Amino acid sequence: MLRRHPWLVPASFLALPLLVYGAFVILPTLNSLYYSFTDWVGYGADISFIGTANFEKIFTDRLFSNAIKNTAIWLLLAMTAPTLLGLSLALALQGKRRINTLYKSLFYLPICLSPIIIGIIWVWLYSPKLGIVNIFLRGIGLDQLATAWLANPNTALYAVFVAWAWQQTGLNMVIFLAGLTSVPTPLVEAAKVDGANYWQTLLKVIIPMLRPATVVVLALTAISALKSFEIIWVMTMGGPFNRSDTLAVFMYSESFRKFKMGYGSSAAVILFLMTLVIIVLYFRFAAAAEELYE
Amino acid sequence: MSRFLVNRLASLASHNGELKMKNRRLILAVLFVLVAALAATPALAQDDLMGDFTVSHYFGGFGGEFIDGIVDDFIAANPGLTHAASPVDHEQFKTSILVQLAGGNPPDAFSYWAGARIQFIVDDGFLMPIDDIWEANDMDSQFPQAVIDTAATYDMHKYAVPLTLHWVGMFYNTALFEEHGVMAPTNWDELIHAAETFKMAGIPAFALGSINRWPGQFWFDMILLRTAGNDYRNKLMSGEASYTDDEVVRAFSLWNDLVQANHFYPDANAYDWDEAANMVANGEAAMTLMGTWIGGHFAGNEMVAGEDFDYFSFPTIDEDTPRASLGPIDTFVVSADAANSDAAKAFLNYLTNPDVQWDFAEGAGNLAPSLLVDTSNYNDVVARIAAEIANDPVFAFNYDLATPPPVAEVGLNSFSEFMANPGDFMAMLERVQADAAAEFAGME
Repeated sequence: MLRRHPWLVPASFLALPLLVYGAFVILPTLNSLYYSFTDWVGYGADISFIGTANFEKIFTDRLFSNAIKNTAIWLLLAMTAPTLLGLSLALALQGKRRINTLYKSLFYLPICLSPIIIGIIWVWLYSPKLGIVNIFLRGIGLDQLATAWLANPNTALYAVFVAWAWQQTGLNMVIFLAGLTSVPTPLVEAAKVDGANYWQTLLKVIIPMLRPATVVVLALTAISALKSFEIIWVMTMGGPFNRSDTLAVFMYSESFRKFKMGYGSSAAVILFLMTLVIIVLYFRFAAAAEELYE
Repeated sequence: MSRFLVNRLASLASHNGELKMKNRRLILAVLFVLVAALAATPALAQDDLMGDFTVSHYFGGFGGEFIDGIVDDFIAANPGLTHAASPVDHEQFKTSILVQLAGGNPPDAFSYWAGARIQFIVDDGFLMPIDDIWEANDMDSQFPQAVIDTAATYDMHKYAVPLTLHWVGMFYNTALFEEHGVMAPTNWDELIHAAETFKMAGIPAFALGSINRWPGQFWFDMILLRTAGNDYRNKLMSGEASYTDDEVVRAFSLWNDLVQANHFYPDANAYDWDEAANMVANGEAAMTLMGTWIGGHFAGNEMVAGEDFDYFSFPTIDEDTPRASLGPIDTFVVSADAANSDAAKAFLNYLTNPDVQWDFAEGAGNLAPSLLVDTSNYNDVVARIAAEIANDPVFAFNYDLATPPPVAEVGLNSFSEFMANPGDFMAMLERVQADAAAEFAGME
């Protein structure tokens, strides 16, 4: 039987995971797509198909534009700050010195914490009166910079981003450290013999060799940035007055605070499409990077 | 004091022929007392109650333990019932109960916020009217008419039994008021004068902790109630009036005068309501506009009501505007699809017991809605507040319970925005009106 139908073995192993994946990922995704074309409020049997009305409305919604703008800022910052910081830390901490192991562990530690915990910790750090951030600023004579970081509409989004980046940087560092181990030592030494200084070696040899790791870092960071929700919700709930709303927060607020599940689902579909674009780009760049180094 | 006990005693009285006349009289006297007591207070036990009985509620802390205890007492007194009480986080409850109701598997009875939120689910047919137990137990005589009209009655039917009543007023640090010679203001000019006095002493008059947005609504609610009055406010809450009307603009202008004059503790949106309460307790600010639950918070800081802190009703602004009290009322309701509606109704009836209402009020720091509760139990501050509520012709629900949830989201955000950018409120009100109108249109 198995000889005649060899596909039965992999199929039997795949059946259960596929069933679970279908039930908990594919089905809800399709459900969400269906709801985005309805006026469902999130409860009750009263549901009507309204075509593309939600999508037509969402593109004229002031709060949606605000969420898109904030998501774009968040994404831009996410692709740069934690990536550069992660790379810098990896370069500084590569090597087998014992102290490096300690530093690596310390920088990686935030990854082990839940975003909820991270949010709570940073809410304390940002406390206007007792937070260490303002105490530090006042201590070094920069009183004018001390502010209510999470309540100030001009700083709230960036203050939450710093907390998020604090966690993300550790992950990026680890990926870059793994990438650095695959950079051939003879190549680096050859560059030195040829007279290249540290920066030239870094820019011309190491960073190009880190392209596969960079693609992974950028893709993971972008996906993580787009779906950022918990830490924002804990720290500001999108406030003050929507100033730190991202697409994920907008989607939640519309669905569960305003009871407009159909409308919220249309935001979810847009978020899904944006994430899909990044995943497709990731696979294309990853494949290109592999071809380059094969 | 259960009916089981009464039946048992009656059975003994009628079947034991050896009982002496003296004993019979004693038993009859006991029976008389028990029957009288049963007539005066709702029965804990009812012989015919059978089956599963489920209760869901959003109370945490003391309230949660208390309700769970009440349910346990009710089940213990009704051996035919088995139950599952399911407390749910306050915010989570707002969504989860709607899902349960829509899914056709709701709890038999559950706690809910009186006002627009109950109307919201009455409109969807999710609640069972309780006119039968309301009339049978003469609940009209047990609650103030204003509470019956606003909290219990929807579409001409009774749906909810009130359990808690909170009231919003200005709570202040008595030592600060005495030190600076400030008397409790009774009108707007006196409030401004008090604020100026504190400002001269370097103390912000008002603490507001609106990080979770809702505390800001009390300022808008009270100023609007004291200027435009409750009838106009009702129109605004139901979408019949506009946020760009002169009435709303004037309310924001008056509020703006106080904010622009730096009478508020800075960065209101950075603090929670209890942090604002602590500012008043510590003398960093003079007063805060808050609900009566602040009394429990102050008591936790070992402040004595009437000595360390006191209150005054939000000052009159326009003399000819009728007075109105403001606050939330928690109630219990019965699901339309309740599997055990008899038990649910008996439970609601039990919640009207004055002892239950008082015990909850004492522990949670609220007022008991029941008129049968002995008000001499209240401390001086709460007793005076009870009198204010009784004197005010209107009891209005705070903003987020008075207007539908999607509109409340728009308004609550605007109050936070106003505290951060007070000067630019006209442009903000135009946006609020556009968003609110869109939300109302979406609900039609």
